[in-house]
Amino acid sequence: MTKLCEGHIALVTGGSKGLGRAIAVTLAREGAHVGFNWTKSEAEAKETLAEIEAHGVRGFSFRTSVLDKQGLAAAVKEMEAAVGTVDVLVNNAGVSDVVPLALMDEEDWDRVMDTNVKGTFLATQAVLRGMVKLRRGRILNIGSLAGVKMMQAPVHYCTAKAAIKGFTEALAKEIGRYGITVNNLAPGVLESGVSVNLPKGRLEDYLRHTALGRLGTFQEVAEMAAFLVSDRASYVNGATILVDGAV
Amino acid sequence: MDCVSCITPTRQDRPHTFFHHERAACPTCRETHEGRVVLRGESPVRLLLCPSCGPSEEILPGTAKDYVDRFLARGEVPEGFEGEIEFKETTSTCPGCLSLLPAKVVIREGRVYFKKNCAACGPSEALVSEDARYYVRAYAFARAGTEPLKFATKVEHGCPTDCGTCNDHEQHTCLPIIEVTDHCNLECPICIVDNQYSNHIDLDTFTRMIDTLVVNEGQCESVALSGGEPTSHPQILDLVRIASRPEIGRVVVITNGIRLGKDRAFAKALKESGAYVGLQLDGFTADTHEKIRGRDLVKEKEAALATLRELQIPTQIIFVATRGVNDDQIGKVVELFLSEDHFLSLNFQPAAYTGHGGGLFGHDPLDRLTIPGVVRRVDEQTGGKLKVEDFFPLPCSHPQCVSLTYLLRLEDGTFLPFSRFVDFTKHGSLLRSSATLPATPEMEQTLQDVLYDVYARQDEIERGPEILAALKRTLKVMFPDRPMTQKESLLIGEQQAKSIFLHHYMDRHDFDLERLRKCCHHYPQTDGRIMPACGFNMFHRGAAKGPGTVTPSWGKKPWVKENGTTRLSIVGS
Repeated sequence: MTKLCEGHIALVTGGSKGLGRAIAVTLAREGAHVGFNWTKSEAEAKETLAEIEAHGVRGFSFRTSVLDKQGLAAAVKEMEAAVGTVDVLVNNAGVSDVVPLALMDEEDWDRVMDTNVKGTFLATQAVLRGMVKLRRGRILNIGSLAGVKMMQAPVHYCTAKAAIKGFTEALAKEIGRYGITVNNLAPGVLESGVSVNLPKGRLEDYLRHTALGRLGTFQEVAEMAAFLVSDRASYVNGATILVDGAV
Repeated sequence: MDCVSCITPTRQDRPHTFFHHERAACPTCRETHEGRVVLRGESPVRLLLCPSCGPSEEILPGTAKDYVDRFLARGEVPEGFEGEIEFKETTSTCPGCLSLLPAKVVIREGRVYFKKNCAACGPSEALVSEDARYYVRAYAFARAGTEPLKFATKVEHGCPTDCGTCNDHEQHTCLPIIEVTDHCNLECPICIVDNQYSNHIDLDTFTRMIDTLVVNEGQCESVALSGGEPTSHPQILDLVRIASRPEIGRVVVITNGIRLGKDRAFAKALKESGAYVGLQLDGFTADTHEKIRGRDLVKEKEAALATLRELQIPTQIIFVATRGVNDDQIGKVVELFLSEDHFLSLNFQPAAYTGHGGGLFGHDPLDRLTIPGVVRRVDEQTGGKLKVEDFFPLPCSHPQCVSLTYLLRLEDGTFLPFSRFVDFTKHGSLLRSSATLPATPEMEQTLQDVLYDVYARQDEIERGPEILAALKRTLKVMFPDRPMTQKESLLIGEQQAKSIFLHHYMDRHDFDLERLRKCCHHYPQTDGRIMPACGFNMFHRGAAKGPGTVTPSWGKKPWVKENGTTRLSIVGS
């Protein structure tokens, strides 16, 4: 059986660690050339790049923020010159912090909205032109169960993830005619990542309401991501796919 | 404000795309008549109306696409070929006796001619297009017409006897032209009507005609008031007021401009009425005006232009182009058109030799201006600012009737033809019988498609980023987050793009029944009929060869003579 992503060129935002790394490496395992951006840890980025290249594909590591339009454009251009037009984008970069709304500073709000929402917009715009020209592409946004269902999670984070759902649906409608699909992959609570700081009581509450009775893993989400950006998911569009063990 | 588009019934598309006419035998009596080939779904179908046996239809072999491909291939001339190719047949008129008769459509030396042979008058030939490639390929632009909400007449004897419009007509009324007077302050040697100097339409009759239009059409994007010279009508402003209804987007007064230039109070009142002006402007020299309009009008035209500029009255320029008379001034009128914001559209009309003046105007039917000839002169005389490739057949009417280009207003105030960045074979809905871009959902989708196409290729397209900025502006203002009336959306659309149309009306030499079948410029009559323009001029007006031309027995003039005086016949009388 051929690999899921053979022949594709993917950019994963916030791909140096956590879920982003899992997705980037899984796409590489499935045959895609993979680039990713990062801002904080060079060491983690090096590890991720090495894991990608270990699968025999080209890897690209860019130290640039999803809020840096020029940086993103340069990354896309470099990948295009080296391996071809980016036809897969995974908008994974995201941040959160636990702040009740009453105490939330404007800066807190802006930071979460900027990285999660504006970053998705800017990264999408950076690759869109190439995809329209190719008349094919896959855009996969990493949303959250918190953007779909009522959960005890920070208001700005839930707002941002709900925005990602709207972004997905509107964009899917707008660019579907160019053969580009846009989907929203919404994980539930995972073993690591933004959930690690959940208080014990809330974690137990979540587990009680999850059919599988456990937290998910990065790899479980990454496997679904690899399918959704592959040619085999050609009729999945504008969808929000929950990977949450059934809450 | 009420959204007009929500309260007016929607016109339906015809169930087929009318493609062309061809002769065929009636399956019952085997007599040969001219039939219509239409593309219905995937099938080509021939519709026939036999006067003895009635209507019949036959599904032709192959798919619609195969049929069109084969048809177009018939017009391909092999490299180096010097003879004559018979492309198709149609029905034309004898230039001598005006009888309808078969015409062979032939291609010779890159041009298209009609060859006819009248039993009474003998053989004749007429040039119909100066560019055979354009002529043949124009058929590929055929598109389904739209039906009026109500037809004005029934199918009894077939085309053109039943005009009109009957339910075998293939297009609704895109542009109604109401002749509101037969008085005029000029006697133009090129005049295509036949003024009797007897009537100004009365307000009640005019109101009934507008009512009929609204009943038949639902909405009209434009209604043109013509004549005679409409500004000679003593109640012209009342007529504008009556026509200015929510169902009618714009009222255009077609004028020679003489009164506008010298009667400031009238010009201001016209501006305040919200009417648009269709200014007849065929050139810039005394000699040109004398030959076409009968006297030197340089000062009058300058005065009219100054008034229109000063009052910023939205204006359409109408230029009747005649070979050897004013075809050297085509570039100059294009430059004028592009230089002022209140000029919305420019309409070139290669001269049709019909009417009181035109029927007698000196011309050579084998060496006349046609649409491709005017387009070529636009290219040559503007130094390529507009190119031959910028113009496309308008699929709304018969593709041989009108050619057009839209010009997008860029942020720096200059204009760029849409053809430089739009593939019209993909975005055919942009080609409409409209002076401006309409704010329809279809147009929104098309403009978004175009925007994405340009977005993807912006480095390869001349002025790509500027086009994108202009398209973004156009989408934003034309489709705001609130309902708009038809008038409001027209006004906004007008600020985004200009258009240049070339409309070749027909005469006794190049009359083509096939073109008449899909005509969308109609003359509403006082008796409720809505007549396709060239059918009216050829068979009903009574001036196809100049004044006193005998009309066929079924031809019915818009006026009646009683007790030695002439009056317009009245709706329902």
